[in-house]
Formats: sequence, structure tokens, C-alpha cells
Amino acid sequence: MTVSTGTEARGVGAPVGVGVPVEQTRVALGRPLRVALVHGREEASRLEVVHLAIASGAEIVARVRATDPRSFVEAAQALRDAKPDVVVIHGGAKDERALAELLEALRLGCGAQRPMPRIFGLVDTGVAHALQMRASPFEFERFAAPSEVVESLRDLRRAGDGDVVLRDALIEDGARSLATTNATKALAVDVTERSTSLVLAHPDGRIEAAHLVPLGLGMGADHVVARASLDNVRRWLPWPIDAPALLERVFNRARRPDVPATTEAAVLLEMALAREAIAHALRNAAEAGFDVVAMRSAPSILITGRVASFPKAGQSLLVLVDGLEPIAVSTVFREPDEGRAERIGMVVSVAPRGSAKIRIVRASGRSVARVVPGSFGFAATGADVEVAVNGKGVRGHGRSGTLGVLIDARGRPLVLPERDAERIPAVTRWHAALHAIAEDGTST
Amino acid sequence: MTWRRERWSADHPLPIGVTKRAQVGELVRAGDIIASGATLAGALRVPGARRLGLSPSDFERELRVRVGSDVATKAVLARVGRRFARSITAPIDGRLLHVTVDGDLYIAPIVDRWTVRSTLDGVVARSDDAVVEIEGEAWCLHAAAAFGPDAIGELTLGVDGPNADLAPSRIDVRLSGRIIVGGARVSAEVITRAHACGVAGLVAGGVPPAGLRVVYGDTVTASGAPSRGDRPTVLCLMGFGSAVLPRAIYDPFAALAGSRAAIHTASARLFVFSTADIGRTETPAPDVAITGEGPAAYAPVRPDADADTGDIEQEEPAQTDEELSPSASDQSPSER
Repeated sequence: MTVSTGTEARGVGAPVGVGVPVEQTRVALGRPLRVALVHGREEASRLEVVHLAIASGAEIVARVRATDPRSFVEAAQALRDAKPDVVVIHGGAKDERALAELLEALRLGCGAQRPMPRIFGLVDTGVAHALQMRASPFEFERFAAPSEVVESLRDLRRAGDGDVVLRDALIEDGARSLATTNATKALAVDVTERSTSLVLAHPDGRIEAAHLVPLGLGMGADHVVARASLDNVRRWLPWPIDAPALLERVFNRARRPDVPATTEAAVLLEMALAREAIAHALRNAAEAGFDVVAMRSAPSILITGRVASFPKAGQSLLVLVDGLEPIAVSTVFREPDEGRAERIGMVVSVAPRGSAKIRIVRASGRSVARVVPGSFGFAATGADVEVAVNGKGVRGHGRSGTLGVLIDARGRPLVLPERDAERIPAVTRWHAALHAIAEDGTST
Repeated sequence: MTWRRERWSADHPLPIGVTKRAQVGELVRAGDIIASGATLAGALRVPGARRLGLSPSDFERELRVRVGSDVATKAVLARVGRRFARSITAPIDGRLLHVTVDGDLYIAPIVDRWTVRSTLDGVVARSDDAVVEIEGEAWCLHAAAAFGPDAIGELTLGVDGPNADLAPSRIDVRLSGRIIVGGARVSAEVITRAHACGVAGLVAGGVPPAGLRVVYGDTVTASGAPSRGDRPTVLCLMGFGSAVLPRAIYDPFAALAGSRAAIHTASARLFVFSTADIGRTETPAPDVAITGEGPAAYAPVRPDADADTGDIEQEEPAQTDEELSPSASDQSPSER
């Protein structure tokens, strides 16, 4: 992906005028960065380090707590096996002694590692002073704020190449821009070959970003299966498939990440993987203390990356709804890497106990949709019109997008039937409702 | 993926507790022990510099035992003074493992011993407590993924053709200590049987990932799972499932059979130590045979005239994205 940052003057490679990029910035995931987390005994300390590791797009390869039950030798061996590029330390004054002991384990485990890991300490000055003395021969840097640690970790991912724009930063800019434009919270969901990102932007410019690596549809596909379980991926496929055959396809996908999906079966497999990648990223974000409820209820949602590049807009929308499980009224956009952004639909998530009515108001008039629990499909509103919805437990407004208003009354959390005989028809029905599978039998 | 004869280097990571290791410049052969050490249990922290009234920097000078040495209970570790001597003794039998920045000592009991063997014939290029790196010349095949510990043994063909699967019945204890070339596919049953029979390692075009999960656990991924300890070693050359080996890859196996070989699992490479001329040093990558979305590894294995059809159990072919077939129904979703 490239981003133009200006236009060339007329006649300089642009015979008819503007429109030719004057300089192009390379957008990349950056080099993989392995991070070991060493934190204090408090849960807040754990959340802090996990939060900033996820925010910086680094891969967490080891976690050691001040009260770690492992022995000194086991902790040292775990750190050696992890081969971290950076060790992030966080803790309070009462953790100082335990953290100092863990630094000794780090010296034993990684003292001979080349290049040596660097230590980033998010600790107060007194603790930093005590730890710095024990950190030799490692380079120890103290940071006052988590944002500084995140920025430094990202600098390492850029590997000193200032021209590289990290994809995470671009997605964050996209979310921030959407939030500012709409003056609402906005969520960007990005799934690539090896990363999955959830970025919540507030209208005032604040962001909460979770970038999980490796977790994606190509090189990270096998990690989706390893983390989310094979059965969780398989349950989204609208036809029966045995576990070994599915596993084989996922593993070979991880071996050949750049091959685009050309058949409907391959697209449906990517959709299944993407749902679980998003759901798993959401679980990890929740564990790291991110505001997942705000993410699920964001009024504006932008889909990017491979999920935005599916052949049909309905496929992108279905993956988002199943993986994210929105809980409010959201307008959904998608922006493929090599394409323009488009507003694809509006999701109205309702959880009625019985039959309920939703009033839909638009310029051409108003209508009432009767919603029964478990229903899932588009309401007749017309394409890309301003819509306000109002009903029991749901209220919001936005634009319907090219697909229209999707009313999702399947409930939260979304539970799929256990048995294939019930699950497959349900999943097929959901795909059909969003035109996500070919209706005429032809391949997408 | 090509057969190449070059000078290679291979890192051998060492666990904590190294006792002895080969020194830089030392000549080694594949299979030689290049490092040995002790497996250690929970370590005890023994006050050192403070007890002797020394600064941490001075303390190391007074140590009577080198860090990394085995010590017996009550062995004097450090001692200062003459008339009013103060000393530190080992509280347990074990290994003096580490000296802290404060001048304290860690002593850990020894519960087992380990060794690390070279996977290359060559010379030690780097040697420290974390890794021993060997550089040497060999025929090399870079594979897709490797699982288990490093393996060293005699290269032996276990199949009669590049598209044959290795049948469990062909594995017995006579193949103990060898690296078996398993053709297009080795199943979980073959892996476990080979391990039980003492086979050093298995090399195959493809390995079913479900079988790998059975053997190595559910966390196994497509990037491989190098490990230590008593586990089977599998080198997956082309992909997952079943992969007919191209002639350019398979024929050199026949030429090199009987040679010493080693599997370096951390880098997923097979080294063969032979000066034999295998005909070509640069062969087209098997990727050229790949069609559709997956590697040739997806291609169903069909025993041809070359294949041994006697012992080979016919198994279900692997599936391609193009040929994905449901387990319970032959219809694709769009066909239904």
C-alpha cells in the first residue's frame, strides 16, 4: 500500500495537471517485534503492560509476574526461549525487590543473547534507579508515560526507516478521521495477513488501539486456529467439513499467505477465520482492559484490510457483525487497501425477548419493522438514505449504505447451535440474508 | 526449495546450566556432543558479598568456585580473612548457577543432565552460554517446517517413489537411528511408530496437520515446533497434507541414501554429508507445480507405476481449495 502526500506540478510527470503523487510513503506492518512483559503483582500492573504491548503491535512472547510461581531457573529459561527484543517492566515500589530478582533471571537467561534485549521500564524514578543498577549489561530506558513506550516500540518496528508508515498508525488515523467527521465514536476493524486491529477513536481525538500479531488470514491463519480453536472456525462454514481437512487448508494458507482467495469456498474460509480473528482480538482487548463495550456500540465502524476486500460488501458486513457482535446502531463503512471507502450498511442490533417493533424514519416516510427473536436480515429502506431507528432498547440514526439497514435480533452473545443439522442451515441462512454466497450456484 | 551444496551455518541454542561446550575453532562432526550441562531445579539464593562484608565488585574475586561448577554441600564458595575468617558454604549439592549484581549466589540442585549434538560437519564459529554455532559444508534442503528436536542419522529411503506414502508397516526397529525419507506423506501413526522404533527423524513432502496436533499438541502451528526432549522429529518439505515430491527433489534422495544426515529443526533444514554428485545443484522450486490457492502439497497422491503399491496403505487424498469436499456431503454450498 502507498500513500500519496502531495501532488506533482503540471508537466512534471503529470501532463494534465494534478493527481500524481509527489512522494509515496511505504505502509507496512513493520518488523516483527518480540516483547517480554515483566510486571508487578497488582492486576493493574499486568493490564498496563499488556495494554501497551497490544497498542504497539508487538508480539508478546513471555509474561512474568512479580509473584510468578515458576522457579528462578524456570523463569530464566522461559525468557531465554522467548528471545525477546524488548523487555517491558512495570511495577510499583513494593514490587521492586521481586522485579530486581526477575532482572537477575533475565541476566541469566538472556545475558548471552545477541543482540541483547533492551529493557523499557514504565516505573517511577526511585524504582527505575534501583532496577537500572541491576539491569547491567542490558540497556535500560525509563519512560514516564505508556504512550512514550508505545512510540518507542513502534520506532523499533520501523527499524530506523523513517519513511515507513506503520499500518497501525494509518488505521488509527482512519478511525480518528471518521470519529472527527461524524462527531461520534468510531471503530476501525482491520484484518490483514498476519495482524488484526481494533481501534476505537473518540471525537476529541483520543484513541484506544489493539493490534494483535500474529493473528490474521494468511501467515497468522494458523494462529487463529491455535488460539480460537478449530471448532470455532469451523462453526462458521455453511457446509460440513471434517477437522483434518479444514486444518490442512488453514496450515497451507499460512504457508502461502499472498495467494488471493479465488473460489467461493476459499472466501468463506477466509470469512470464518476473520470472524474468529476479530472475536479473539476483542477477547484479548477485554483482557487488557480496553473498553470493549464502547467498541461494540460505536456508531461508526470502518472495515479495512482483507475483510474489506471480500468480493461482496455483504461478506464484509457479515464478518463484522458475527465477529464483533455490535450492540447498538452502527453505520458501517469498508475501505479496501486498493480501493475507495464506501458506506455499505447500517447495523441495528436488538435483543428482544419477544416480538418487538422498530420504527424506521427516513425522508420518504416512515415504516415499522416487526422483529422476532433470532431474526436477521435487511429492512426495506432503500439504498444510502438517512435513517433513524427507534424501538425497544434501540435508538440511533445514520445512513443505510448500499446494502441497507440490517436488523440483527440473534441476541448477544451470539450462540450458534451445536449440532451440524441445526447450525449449518442457520449459518447458510445468515449468509443468504446478506447475499454472501452465490445464489445462482456460480462461484464468486 | 532446492538441493544446494554450500557452506552453511547452524545455531544450536543451549538450555540453562551448561557445563562444557565446544570452543570456537574446534572441528566437529554431525552427531558429536558440542555442549553438555545439567537440568536444574529451583535455585536457592545465598547471601554473598554482604555476609563477607565486601562490595559486589570485590566479591567475585574472592569466589573459590567458578560460576557454572558443581558444588557439594558445605563446600566453601568464598572466604575472606585469615585469623577471623568468614566464609560462604554451599547449603546443598548442586550447581553454582549465577552471581547477582548484589553479590548473592544462586545454587540449584541438579535433577538431570542434557547434551546438545551438532547438526553439521564443520567448525565452531561461535560458542557462548546461549548458543553454539557451527559452520560447515553439506548438501542442504530447506523445508517448509520442522517439528521436534534435532536429529542425526543415516539417510534411508522408506518409499519406492516420490508419490508414495510411507506405510506404518515399513517401520521397524531395524531403522533405529536413521532418518527416513517418507515420500509424499507421513501420518501420525507413522510418526509415533517411528519414534517408538527409535527412528531418528522423518522427512516427507507433506504431513497432515491433524496428525501433528495429535503428536505435538493443539498449539502447533504451520511455522513448526522445534523442541528439546524425547519427541519425534519430522521435517515437512513442501506443505501440509500430502505432497508428491518433484523428481528434482526426490532423485537426489536416492543418490544420497546411506549418507549421514541431520535435521536442524530450528531452521527447518536437512543437511546431508556426502560428496556425491547428485546431478544438479540448482533445481526448479516445486512451487512451479502449484496451482490454485495451495501448494502442490494439496495435490492428491495417486500411486503410479513407480510407487510401491504392495505395502502402502491407500489413504484419502488431501483436499485442495478448488476441490474442497465436505465430509458429510459432496455438495458445495452453492450447489445445494
